[in-house]
Amino acid sequence: MRPLKDAQLGAFTFFASALPHDVCGSNGLPLTPNSIKILGRFQILKTITHPRLCQYVDISRGKHERLIVVTEHYESSLSDFQKQGKTVSPEKVLQVAYEVLEGLEFMNKHGLVHRALNAHNVLMDCKGNVKLAKFGFYHMTDHGADVDFPIGYPSYLAPEVIAQGSFHPTDPSHDEAPPPSGPKADVWSLGVLLFELCAGRRLLHNIEISERLKFILTLGCMDDIVTVLAEEHGCLDTIKELPENVQELLRKCLTFLPSKRPTPAELLGDPVFSGISCQYTPFQKPVSLFSSSLRCAHLELPDDISDLCKDEDEDYLSERAIDEVYHLWCLAGGDLEKELTNKEIIQSKPPICTLSNFVMEDGESFGQGRDRSFLLDDTTVTLSLCQLRNRLKDVAGEAYYPLLEDEQSSLPQSNSSNELSATVTLPLIIRERDTEYQLIRIILFDRLLKGYPYKKNLVWKEARVDIPPLVRGLAWAALLGIEGDIQAKYESIDKDTPIPTDRQIEVDIPRCHQYDELLSSPQGHIKFRRVLKAWVVSHPDLVYWQGLDSLCAPFLYLNFNNEALAYACMSAFIPKYLYNFFLKDNSHVIQEYLTVFSQMIAFHDPELSNHLNEIGFIPDLYAIPWFLTMFTHVFPLHKIFHLWDTLLLGNSSFPFCIGVAILQQLRDRLLANGFNECILLFSDLPEIDIERCVRESINLFCWTPKSATYRQHAQPPKTTADNGFGKTATYYSSDYQDMPKTDLSREPLALCDLKAELSPRISAEDLIDLCELSLSGPTKRSRAGKPKIVAVDIRSVEDYSRGHISGSINVAFNTAFGPDGELVQCPATGVLQNYRGRVIVVISHAMKSAAMFAAHLVKVNFPRVCILDGGINKLKPTGLLTVPSPQI
Amino acid sequence: MKLKNNNEKKMCDILEFVFEFKAGKHNCVLKVPLQFPVQQNISDLHGRLMLLHKIPCYIENELKSSLSSFIEKETILDYDREAELALQRLTNGDVDVNQLTNAWSRSYAETTLEHARPEEPSWDEDFADVYHELIHSPASDTLLNLEHNYFVSISELISERDMEIKKLQERQAAEMDKVMHELGNTLSDQDVNAVASQHFDAQQVLENKWASELKQVTCIQKQEYQEWVIKLHQDLQKSNNSSQINEEIKVQSSQLSEAADSGARMFEEQPQLEESFTIHLGAQLKTMHNLRLVRADVLDFCKHRHHGSSGAKLRRLQTALSLYSSSLCGLVLLVDNRVNSYSGIKRDFATVAKECTDFHFHCLEEQLEEVQQVVLYARAQRSSKQKEQPGESGNRKNGDDKSKNIERNPSNILPGEFYISRHSNLSEVHVVFHLCVDDNVRSGNITARDPAIMGLRNILKVCCTHDVTTVTIPLLLVHDMSEEMTIPWCLKRAELVFKCVKGFMMEMASWDGGISRTVQFLVPKSISEEMFYQLSNMLPQIFRVSSTLTLTSKH
Repeated sequence: MRPLKDAQLGAFTFFASALPHDVCGSNGLPLTPNSIKILGRFQILKTITHPRLCQYVDISRGKHERLIVVTEHYESSLSDFQKQGKTVSPEKVLQVAYEVLEGLEFMNKHGLVHRALNAHNVLMDCKGNVKLAKFGFYHMTDHGADVDFPIGYPSYLAPEVIAQGSFHPTDPSHDEAPPPSGPKADVWSLGVLLFELCAGRRLLHNIEISERLKFILTLGCMDDIVTVLAEEHGCLDTIKELPENVQELLRKCLTFLPSKRPTPAELLGDPVFSGISCQYTPFQKPVSLFSSSLRCAHLELPDDISDLCKDEDEDYLSERAIDEVYHLWCLAGGDLEKELTNKEIIQSKPPICTLSNFVMEDGESFGQGRDRSFLLDDTTVTLSLCQLRNRLKDVAGEAYYPLLEDEQSSLPQSNSSNELSATVTLPLIIRERDTEYQLIRIILFDRLLKGYPYKKNLVWKEARVDIPPLVRGLAWAALLGIEGDIQAKYESIDKDTPIPTDRQIEVDIPRCHQYDELLSSPQGHIKFRRVLKAWVVSHPDLVYWQGLDSLCAPFLYLNFNNEALAYACMSAFIPKYLYNFFLKDNSHVIQEYLTVFSQMIAFHDPELSNHLNEIGFIPDLYAIPWFLTMFTHVFPLHKIFHLWDTLLLGNSSFPFCIGVAILQQLRDRLLANGFNECILLFSDLPEIDIERCVRESINLFCWTPKSATYRQHAQPPKTTADNGFGKTATYYSSDYQDMPKTDLSREPLALCDLKAELSPRISAEDLIDLCELSLSGPTKRSRAGKPKIVAVDIRSVEDYSRGHISGSINVAFNTAFGPDGELVQCPATGVLQNYRGRVIVVISHAMKSAAMFAAHLVKVNFPRVCILDGGINKLKPTGLLTVPSPQI
Repeated sequence: MKLKNNNEKKMCDILEFVFEFKAGKHNCVLKVPLQFPVQQNISDLHGRLMLLHKIPCYIENELKSSLSSFIEKETILDYDREAELALQRLTNGDVDVNQLTNAWSRSYAETTLEHARPEEPSWDEDFADVYHELIHSPASDTLLNLEHNYFVSISELISERDMEIKKLQERQAAEMDKVMHELGNTLSDQDVNAVASQHFDAQQVLENKWASELKQVTCIQKQEYQEWVIKLHQDLQKSNNSSQINEEIKVQSSQLSEAADSGARMFEEQPQLEESFTIHLGAQLKTMHNLRLVRADVLDFCKHRHHGSSGAKLRRLQTALSLYSSSLCGLVLLVDNRVNSYSGIKRDFATVAKECTDFHFHCLEEQLEEVQQVVLYARAQRSSKQKEQPGESGNRKNGDDKSKNIERNPSNILPGEFYISRHSNLSEVHVVFHLCVDDNVRSGNITARDPAIMGLRNILKVCCTHDVTTVTIPLLLVHDMSEEMTIPWCLKRAELVFKCVKGFMMEMASWDGGISRTVQFLVPKSISEEMFYQLSNMLPQIFRVSSTLTLTSKH
């Protein structure tokens, strides 16, 4: 969005019309409230950016179908001229006309019609340029169908608009809404407006509305409408004195028959503007982040760089984008309803005074007149930025322009950096509500994302701190590595031709995250359908499984106005975390996944694992929707965002840790309950503290050796190493599968064998790495980031003495456990007890005995037990085995 | 390269887009039928055409621009056609100009503030504002005490009345005894009847006298009170130096409270059984609500108590504070099909409502009269609407049944319908929903489609639209227990109502965006303690009770 500059933020409010009582939609579900329809349709307006149009910023729903729209706003408008009661110079009239037409033409290009053009809605910025306000009103209300009031103002209505009738829900004579108005209706309104400017008085001002409209309709029989109007208003002389081109312009605008009236685009090219059109350069849309063309292609730096910083103006905030400023305004305690109430635009009566007397069985109520506070007052109220500026007055100017070149410094150094670094340690919820902190973070991310993909590494680094909600959509796209002309790719996918999956998609969408206003709006449903279909069509080897809709939801929500990006993110997300989950026959993938998951439960929480296995509450019963939808089916969107902020930074085995973390939050209840209660508990998952869940899953992840979550059906390693701007491969972000495969790596295991083992296997590679056994001396990585480990050799003492890895302890299998599986008291097991809590790697000759030993350990609640894949034999070729010097 | 066969019928709004281009030496023509107005995205259409017809990429941009200009042009023509059709209808006289313009002017007048008739100032609302302001100021205590004083004087009057009526009754009983004694001797049946009717008349006269006196006192009280409130508000506004006023208030209040204490009688607090639950509703996004199961008399929520009794004044204050706020308290009262206050629970409720003057709203009788008018109006509306659209109703039989009922007496209401009364003088309730039920609710086999249940749904809906955040519902849909209401009956009924209310509450989340509410389920006083606990065990099985927060010192 454009910077705020000298604009203000404004807000106006209106009510959507109430739904009739107890009417169901054609699909049997309750009807969508009109306010939600409007909210959905509004979204696209946020993308309509043009210098002649007031930028739409946000819409919010209040109680009882109230909607509040936030837009760019200016205090002065054409009505100021009207108030002065003077005529306007012909040059000014031409300028206004031209600029209004520029705005209208741009709108028409995007399929929008203004319909509500009047003097109040043509605003003027400080330089006297035109800014059209409320241009999206007609669009967002579905041509006026979703509101009770007519769109437009009586004097400015075009004759055909009047003839098509007003649509009033209580009016029985009109069953259907009038057809939508075309762009030419606005040209008439513009004509009236210009006439008023020229004449210096309001058109048909003091006449009753129905008479006014009748008069407009009778103009059809007149030859020269402009003259008739001028005579009617007693300003024939003034009009006749106007320059010829202005008169011509008025005549063209005020053409009665639509077919003879020019469109805004035609009028813009008309010779009447030949004098001034050369002063205007056509508007160029800025290149978006993801496109095939070069973003910096048209960048021109002045010869003298210091010209750029000539602005002595200290107001850095107004250089920020409008939506950013509004976001910060909200964080700084801005309250739309309060602002509007203060200006007496919202006047509400106490609800007890508006209760009806009598309600019929079908819900229709009687005995209460129409509440006056529901009437339309579309005055735009300026939102004062004082509070926000006050809040940010201590933020240094440097903070608005952080330097990014130095990869070492994390946060921009400024006076308030101490305070900021203190803020970083606060809980995420608080950080997201902190105005200064969000300002700094948004600016930082904004700049990093502008430098994407070049600044990819820094985006990763900063995302590890947190992601500001305002830029989350793009930040996620950066984390997922989206690049290229996604729009063209998305457009080339056929999303219209019916496919067999349509029916299922149609059933699932109205059940997917419908508590959310955006996703439950009809526009949301349309977009849902298109993105899902695009994915299904473009992945012929995969199929639609229920759950894909939930997976799509967060991406769609964040990129509501950019379906292509939502599609691209989803297409990048699925192979990374859900490789082959959407195969037609995905059972082997899911089975392997769930088996690894239950091994992870045993690894991290043996007590819980023992209990769940005892009562037969296996992951198949509850965890499939968790993983198939990456938890989007079980959590509301705001929790998903926080969860995925971290998930996207981790590798494909991170979800296991999230799963274990969720189980641990429910641990007490699970341990206390039997099978039936557990099933009930999970059928409607209780509230989960998501911040704790994230924290714990990171902790669990750090304790998990990488190869423990090896899956043979995981995504195969990427063949090409296109690490142009590749992210830094850290222990946490890179996948085990991405590592080069060696002899010491894990080998695939048949599913039945995998299922037979309670504890995970780890590769010899991992063991060497974690025990720092490498021949080439200690590895580069510091000890701190690694889990503590102990190798337990369960071979017989003789075998052990013939060669073992250094640092391992010997607990012979046959001596360790008693007949009931309890640990026998002996020196060896005592050592083992001492190491409780470390990662225990069981090493043996035969995998079977290792697995049994590990199972015994889990049984007696030893955490973090795993097995060396391939046993001691794997290590023999490495030459790492040592023979202790014989004791003397 | 042609898109299938043009086998669809050539409708006026399907136009063919023709595009010619050269591929090598071949001249190719692409023809695409397009339906107008074009709904789909042009970029998508273009992408699909490219894909479907394997159009070479070097004409991609050319195709796109010619496609969009074609659609643009045709759409404009479409608009023009529609527009001129409408203008033509007007010139042909198919549409009446006056009707048309009147419809326009009416819709402006009814929906926009600019064109609406100016509002006549409403005294009620002004008073509401004044009161709301005062009750949230230090003056609240004074207000309450004043109200309470008025209440005390009314209850004195009432007890006086009761005494006098009792005396009369005793005297009459004695007289009657005497007369009965003489029956057959000196007096005939006729004489007895005469005496009886005389007694009845005397009683009526006395009751009427008291009723009118009470009414008069109430009227005076209300007027005095309102004048006082307005004056206090003016004084407060006038003086910037509010400390003086505060003093004034304080002095007055202490006097008043003394007076109140002197008149205080201790009420026996009945042991109320009560259990509270916090629940979560919703699959992904959960909303929190409070539920309470209470064993009490329905009128306990209404009865005004003396300030002496524990917490009564605080409760009063709470009710007064929220009267004009957006968190009201409602109560569902089950009534029969006549809108009056002559019998049963209706009379009991009316008695309670009269125990204290309502300083804000009309008294119950007047409110009921208004409801009767509205009911008649609503019936008239309905029948005129039904005449307009005959043969539309699918449930003809049901409708017939109902309409017969209505024809008998149009002022009666039907099961599932309810009327609403407002009160400022009840202890914990602002709004009473008088829900009409029939004898059907006493039987064991009502379903979720029963009118009474549908009525509950509509009540909850009104709660949403009018910010009633606490509502009390009779769980068993009866106020008193009787023989046929066995344990299984109670359990079955409770389960039904719990489940239905749960469903409605989930529905409500979509109406109001999930505002947290309190729903109190009320069971009659006469059920056993055991039964109560059985019901309270049932509740968490139906609603998901939120997990208790356990604070552990882990790690």
